[in-house]
Amino acid sequence: MDCERVGDEGLQADKMDALYGEADAAARARVEAHLAGCDACREEMAALRGVRRDLREWALPAARPSFTPRGVVVPRWLAAAAVLLFLFGATLGVTGYVSLRRALVAQEARAAEAERRHREEVQALQASLARGPAAPLDAATVLAGLDARIDERLRASEARQVARLDTRIAGWEERADAQRRVDMARVAASLSYLDGRHGQQLARTNELMGYVLEASAQKR
Amino acid sequence: MGRSDEELVEACQAGEASAFDVLVARWEDKIRGAAYRFLGSEEEAKDVAQEAFLKAYRALGGFKREARFSSWLYQIATNLCRDRLRRRRTRAAVSLEELEETGPVIVETRPGAHEQLQQLDLARLVRRAVYALPEEQREVVILKEYQGLTFLEIAQALDVPVSTAKTRLYRGLGQLRLRLEREGLGGESAVPAPAR
Repeated sequence: MDCERVGDEGLQADKMDALYGEADAAARARVEAHLAGCDACREEMAALRGVRRDLREWALPAARPSFTPRGVVVPRWLAAAAVLLFLFGATLGVTGYVSLRRALVAQEARAAEAERRHREEVQALQASLARGPAAPLDAATVLAGLDARIDERLRASEARQVARLDTRIAGWEERADAQRRVDMARVAASLSYLDGRHGQQLARTNELMGYVLEASAQKR
Repeated sequence: MGRSDEELVEACQAGEASAFDVLVARWEDKIRGAAYRFLGSEEEAKDVAQEAFLKAYRALGGFKREARFSSWLYQIATNLCRDRLRRRRTRAAVSLEELEETGPVIVETRPGAHEQLQQLDLARLVRRAVYALPEEQREVVILKEYQGLTFLEIAQALDVPVSTAKTRLYRGLGQLRLRLEREGLGGESAVPAPAR
């Protein structure tokens, strides 16, 4: 059954005030009095409360973050490649470290050996100093020794000079011989060339002479 | 307790520009929310909110404080939304489906998958029903139901008498009731007759 005040805007306004809790006491009393005797309006108010509940379902969209880590999807092949690359890098790193370590150890060993030798030399020098100065030398003996060594050096030097000279002379001879052979070959080549040219010229002259003789024979 | 809107407006008018930042921070989300419900587009809603604050800032010197600052701000935003809707209509009739496809609605609660789907369906139905209302009824429904403005504030924002705002809301709710009941919604419960 419809409400007899269905088009009453005053009642509508009162209902809205009541529905949203803005009704003053007078408006509230008016609405309650009407609803008490009007099934249609009572039902309508209940329905409008239901509509209000339904309207609350339309929520605002949440603010969208510009970047969500959970949203990043890494392809499997890329993940596998990353793992392999990491393992390769790690292997290189370990290998490099081991090589470097070995090189350092070897370097340390060499340094220790050098130090040991130096210590031995120093100890030997200290020992020789501790033994005191050597016995004084005889001058004539020293000079004789020197003369002998000088003579020996001179002889060795002369022998080296002679050997060097012989080698050089042999080289010159060899080179002169080679040059001579080259020159002879060139001369031969030139003569052949001249012979060739001369031969061609002779052939051409003969040919021309043939033409001349043929022409004169025809004139006759 | 911070300063009231009116105190901040006074401070702005006295030359304290930073007071306007407080007003923006206080009202930006609400204005953007209203614009989103008017237009159905997040991007446009952001633009409208920015434009509304810009307009308000420029016109703040002439603000007479006859209405509340928030009502005035809603008025500016509502007019901007109306302009945009009008431009849309001139370009092409905005179909209901277009408004439907303006991005996913992410509900703020986190129910289970079935409930979430159901909630999305409900939200879609409700949104569709609201968009199907005539513009003047839709504005009142949005400002009242989602923005929580009083009838006086709605009247100021829409520049209409308070009684008109109430009538438009009454009619709008009636339309929604019919449409939602057709969709199988409308949580009508039996109301016992009051004791006489």
